[in-house]
Amino acid sequence: MSPLLEVAGLSKRFGGLAALDGLDLHVEEGEIVSVIGPNGAGKSTLFNVVTGLYPPDDGDIRFAGRSIVGLPPHQITKLGVARTFQTVHLFPNMTVLENAMVGQHCRTRSGVFGAILQLPSTRREERMVREKARAALGFFGPRLAGYRQEQPAFVLSYANRRRLEIARALATEPRLILLDEPTAGMNPRETLEMRDHIVRMRDELGLTVVVIEHDMRVVKGVSDRVIACDYGRKIAEGTYEEVAHDPHVIEAYLGKRAVG
Amino acid sequence: MVRAGAKAGLLGGAVLLYAAAVGMLVRLDELHLVGTQVTLGRVLLVLPPFVAAFLAVRPRVVGGRVEQPGPPAALAIGALAGGVTGAVGAGGLALVDAIGLDRVRSVFVAVSPALVETMTFGRGLGLGAAILVLGGLGLGAVGGIWRRVRHGLRRPVEVGLLTVFVLGMLQRVVPFMLDELRIERDWLYSRVTRGLTWVGAVVVLVVATAAAAYVLDRRERHGRAPLEEGRPEVRGVRRLVLAGIVVAFFAALPQLAGSIVSEIMGTVGVFLLLALGLNIVTGYAGMLHLGFSAFFLLGAYSIALLTGANLVTAFGLVAPRFSAHLDFYVALVLVVLIGAAVGALLAAPVLRLRGDYLAIVTLAFAQIAVILATSSWLQPITGGPQGLRDVTKAPLLGIGFRSAENFYYLVLVACVLAVYVSWRLAWSRTGRAWNAMREDEQVAEAMGVPTGRYKMLGFAIGGAIGAIGGAMFAVKVGTVQPGSFEIIQSITILAVVILGGLGSVPGVVLGALVLLGLPGLLTQLEEYRFLIYGASLVAIMILRPQGLIPNVRRMRELQEEERTQDAWQQIFAARQEEEAAEGATEAAS
Repeated sequence: MSPLLEVAGLSKRFGGLAALDGLDLHVEEGEIVSVIGPNGAGKSTLFNVVTGLYPPDDGDIRFAGRSIVGLPPHQITKLGVARTFQTVHLFPNMTVLENAMVGQHCRTRSGVFGAILQLPSTRREERMVREKARAALGFFGPRLAGYRQEQPAFVLSYANRRRLEIARALATEPRLILLDEPTAGMNPRETLEMRDHIVRMRDELGLTVVVIEHDMRVVKGVSDRVIACDYGRKIAEGTYEEVAHDPHVIEAYLGKRAVG
Repeated sequence: MVRAGAKAGLLGGAVLLYAAAVGMLVRLDELHLVGTQVTLGRVLLVLPPFVAAFLAVRPRVVGGRVEQPGPPAALAIGALAGGVTGAVGAGGLALVDAIGLDRVRSVFVAVSPALVETMTFGRGLGLGAAILVLGGLGLGAVGGIWRRVRHGLRRPVEVGLLTVFVLGMLQRVVPFMLDELRIERDWLYSRVTRGLTWVGAVVVLVVATAAAAYVLDRRERHGRAPLEEGRPEVRGVRRLVLAGIVVAFFAALPQLAGSIVSEIMGTVGVFLLLALGLNIVTGYAGMLHLGFSAFFLLGAYSIALLTGANLVTAFGLVAPRFSAHLDFYVALVLVVLIGAAVGALLAAPVLRLRGDYLAIVTLAFAQIAVILATSSWLQPITGGPQGLRDVTKAPLLGIGFRSAENFYYLVLVACVLAVYVSWRLAWSRTGRAWNAMREDEQVAEAMGVPTGRYKMLGFAIGGAIGAIGGAMFAVKVGTVQPGSFEIIQSITILAVVILGGLGSVPGVVLGALVLLGLPGLLTQLEEYRFLIYGASLVAIMILRPQGLIPNVRRMRELQEEERTQDAWQQIFAARQEEEAAEGATEAAS
């Protein structure tokens, strides 16, 4: 069986800078893969290209066996790729629940006439969207429950904003979720909590997860496989132990002399 | 702070001189609000020092801390601001006196002996100037200290004064309605000045203040109502009842208020339709559209051509080269479709543009529309500058809708439908998608919203509603000429939406009533219509940027401060509870 996500020879340049330089990687269904690398290694660019925000200069991206290069972002989302952003991007003036409800957009179809005429199918669908959004928020237990769901997203604490962003991505009912530094800015307790949530995404929701992460405890705790990048290229791949002791990786993080 | 006071005073003085130089002070002196003493002109004379002082002592953030002057300082700064305002006014008078009234008048036609008389209270230059400065000092002191008055007292009095003011402004409507309802009204409105009587004004002030105080007190005791109160079904029923009352009121209005009001409200209705259309494009979907009058024009010409209007030529009336003789209501459906189609077509080339760029391009649309309609190329169809005449009266079962009262009902039905559509869309999947797009286009796209399609949808629905407004306008006036659809109409529509509250349907309704209804009702205001638009837009941007009746979501955005704090307190408390609970379970295990 072909892998769920397969990236082959992916390149993306910004001016003279190669953010991605012939990157190859694959992610099997049901895997949790961490992507690590120093700042500027092209990790976030990888996500942006995979989700269609930027067109790649070269290479191919196959999701569930079909090429998704050139598709607009909303279609890629509909195919089952959800993501979060490195710097949290919510819809700050919409309520927490509405944020999650937007995630359901690609799974629903009612339109203008249904809304104006209040067709039974529209009302049913709206109820369903609400339930599914609540369920997505419920992934984080009490953190995003109760009165918070009716509050505008901008009042949330930083950690809760990150959680909401993930919940919104879960509400799109993805097969593959791309998490861009889900624990950035979180305190140690919240970080450990997030680590458990990432594992739960696979175990309970059956998702495939690709996570960009800097916190090595999280990487170690969740990863089936770790891919290390630098200068837009894969420099190492394997289990956490293998990658952590790979000389290329140590060099990328610490410089050449540390290897010797 | 002294500098702030002086600055506010200079601004206040500038406003005062401006209002005087354009003739507002004298012209509006004819409009009696209360008794013979309180005229709109005098209110305008008194307001600048007071408002300047009130604004001068507003709390401001200095180096991360909120600084607010204490009562003595507020008094002094306020007096300074008011005094400077008065002094600028007096200085203006002295300058006019020095140059010579006649010579000034040859440039500023409004600077008349009557103006000098008004500004000096008829006491001559010396004494008048002294009154201006001293009065400014006094008013400024009151304005400064007013800021420090307890909120629970200040707000009700403000509401009371505003009520008196509004009732005074509605002097051509309310007494008429009271007469129709056979309610004795001589105690409230004078038959001589047409304004309120002193007795009436005092009664209204007391009642309105007391009522406002009661509501405020209740609210304080029971806490601020949460953003969305009650279960959705209860809210829905409550809203329906409220909507029913509002519609019933407007349906009864022509009977109550007479044909002048019907005539004015007809115009309000036309612009309300346009504003509701723009509200979908700009308020819901967040695309700034400066050329919405293009849809106004489109709707008017479409209905005229589809229902068999005639061209005016040197040889008399001729049928246009293209014309149909459809029934108005059939044609109206076509107009809706044309509006939607043109809206979507215009959206196609601008899908990639955002913000300012989009605004400039839309501005061009409006100009192109007018030029096309005027052009000799399209003259056989549009009639060029002469336009088309004999537009249908929209007959239905033998009743025409040209007369003010009948037209009012026609446009009312259209408005109610448009309001309903707007409201349903706001709380639907479509509205949510627009909202997400307005908040962050790229993220909305990444979350699965096809933003291009929703932009076109926004333009299409907005265009359709706007085109209905144009069609209604054509029925109302019976002729269609390009001059009626100049850019200034786009500005008016935008002003209505912004003043009322972007994205807020009740706000847009109120905005249309205030900006189009009031100048229509008070002929004295009519000539200052655009001055009032400009001034009220500036004021609303400073004082209440979310609009008169904000959209729930915009309110969240712009009144962040207060609510965020409440919310943080709640979150903080909840978090502490959570942690306590977690601590307990950990201790137990």
